[in-house]
Amino acid sequence: MNTIMALIIILALLMILSGGRRGLSAFFTLIVNFGLLFLTVILIAGGFPPVFVMMFTGISILAIIIYVGNNNESQTNTAFISTLLVLAVMILLIIPMNYLMQIYGFSNEQSEEIEAFNVAIGVNFASIAIATTILSTLGAIAEAAIAVASGMEEIIEQGAAKTAQELRTSGRNIGLQIMGMTFNTLFFGMFGGNLALFILISKLDASFGYYANSKIFASETMLVIYAAISVVLVIWVTIEITVFKTNKGNNPKKS
Amino acid sequence: MKKKLFFECIILLLGAIIIFIVSTHDAFLYKQSILQVTRVEQGKTFKSSDEYGNHDKKTDQTVYGILLNSKKKGEKFKFQNTYTASGGLSQKYQKGQQLFVTLNHDNGKFEVTPLNYKRDTYLFMMCWIMVCLLFMVMKIDGVRTIISVLINFVLFLIIVQLDVSWNITNFFIIFAVSAIIFTAITLAIIVGINRQFVVTFAAIFSGTALALLISVGVMWLTQDNGMHYEALDFATQQPKQLFLSATLIGLLGTVMDAATDIVSTLFELKRSQPEVSFQQLYRSGREVGKDIMGPLINVLLLIFFAETFTMAVLYFRTKNTIGYTFSWTMSLGLLQAVISGIGIALVIPAASLFAAWSLERSRA
Repeated sequence: MNTIMALIIILALLMILSGGRRGLSAFFTLIVNFGLLFLTVILIAGGFPPVFVMMFTGISILAIIIYVGNNNESQTNTAFISTLLVLAVMILLIIPMNYLMQIYGFSNEQSEEIEAFNVAIGVNFASIAIATTILSTLGAIAEAAIAVASGMEEIIEQGAAKTAQELRTSGRNIGLQIMGMTFNTLFFGMFGGNLALFILISKLDASFGYYANSKIFASETMLVIYAAISVVLVIWVTIEITVFKTNKGNNPKKS
Repeated sequence: MKKKLFFECIILLLGAIIIFIVSTHDAFLYKQSILQVTRVEQGKTFKSSDEYGNHDKKTDQTVYGILLNSKKKGEKFKFQNTYTASGGLSQKYQKGQQLFVTLNHDNGKFEVTPLNYKRDTYLFMMCWIMVCLLFMVMKIDGVRTIISVLINFVLFLIIVQLDVSWNITNFFIIFAVSAIIFTAITLAIIVGINRQFVVTFAAIFSGTALALLISVGVMWLTQDNGMHYEALDFATQQPKQLFLSATLIGLLGTVMDAATDIVSTLFELKRSQPEVSFQQLYRSGREVGKDIMGPLINVLLLIFFAETFTMAVLYFRTKNTIGYTFSWTMSLGLLQAVISGIGIALVIPAASLFAAWSLERSRA
């Protein structure tokens, strides 16, 4: 049997054992998201504009992560709106930065692997880089938005925060806890996942100048920075939307 | 409040401007020669196509520039460049850009060849924007979380350096030990050194170790059927061990995330309701786990999978089949996500059990 298939089956079994029915639905979101990502690659390779394809699959992926398995409608709506806003801001930030930094395509360090290929394949590598950068941060954004939205909902229900300022402060405390762990997840996921690259760079006896300027290292670092910025933004936006909604609900004149 | 925000924005802008000015004039700090492009002459554009029917354009350009450092500082040079419209490996140069170049001595005449584009200005500026944003939203505590990541980063570089200089056959051991150190340090910063630390650490350790054991066991049983470890990018050491090491470190972050979430919730529950029973604690832990499992595994799927896109597009455009492209470019990323998922699914019951057990024992 194929190794990947065997491990996927084990993952499914463990998720069901550990999470029951909700574990099963979580596994289902994984499969659907995998399918969407695969579709993205095929559409991009087929010549569709990468950024538009990414927006389509990105929004679908966000909706799936946020809505499947979370039943509270008000907090999932808050989370979804704030992730969409942050997605829009990140697109506006990443497009010019990517142009200025010229991070796309393949790096010199990869030349050995693509030796056999002619890389003049008529696609827009810059757009592909923008699409993949945004896609890779979406999971972290969605996770942070849900966690902040549901944590604040809890506080509102308990009646622990009376004024908007108190609600903001407790939202920030929740956000802070989530952010600390999310940064570590992103750091270990992105840098640890690229261990081979770091070993290679280390073997090359790279200088500080290499780290600050080479395409491959700059692109990995930018990925972590974009992810960090979008997580901070999504926490902030989720807090503000929740505060706004609560105020509107408490004020009978407006409603 | 409004005034303060205005003040913070001014500082952000001022800092960005200072970083911009300093880092565009930092050529004297580099040993490598840096060329500032002063003029570009566009040459002819050729159409190119390959045997798969992909059409692209190649354009010649003559780039004129002035050296900003080294012993030839201030002298003018020119070089020829060809770029493709798609931009896979080559780059279109424009007036005002700074590039690293090598100076070649050729028959008494000096010539330059472009080496690397200068990216430090934007990298530093983005770092600055990130730190400012953290401070504006989270105040000083936000900046503190960055410090824990920085400590881990420095440690990570040291460990990689150790791996390179020791160069032992079973280098996986180095990363296994370093994973334990990473966990200990991160937890010490986030939860402090107390009983909660011990419980969380035990959960992370058993969850991660079990996930890796299962994975390695399955790889052995299926005899790595369908795996191409040699497709691992940048591999300079034994690919399978390298892949496992990368997976171990990659999954550590999420497993830590899940474990700290569960353990801290249960400790909090015990504090607010001292009479809560073992069963109740265990069940609450599992409930928290159900909430976070799906989003967490998806985080890793997106991180590991999106990075393979550029290579996969190259494979597809050169008419490779879906199966071939998948197994040579995407399967390792997917497997990393799957193994991390196994780790998360295992750490949820482990963390619930250990926390409930430790809290139960403290009452007796």
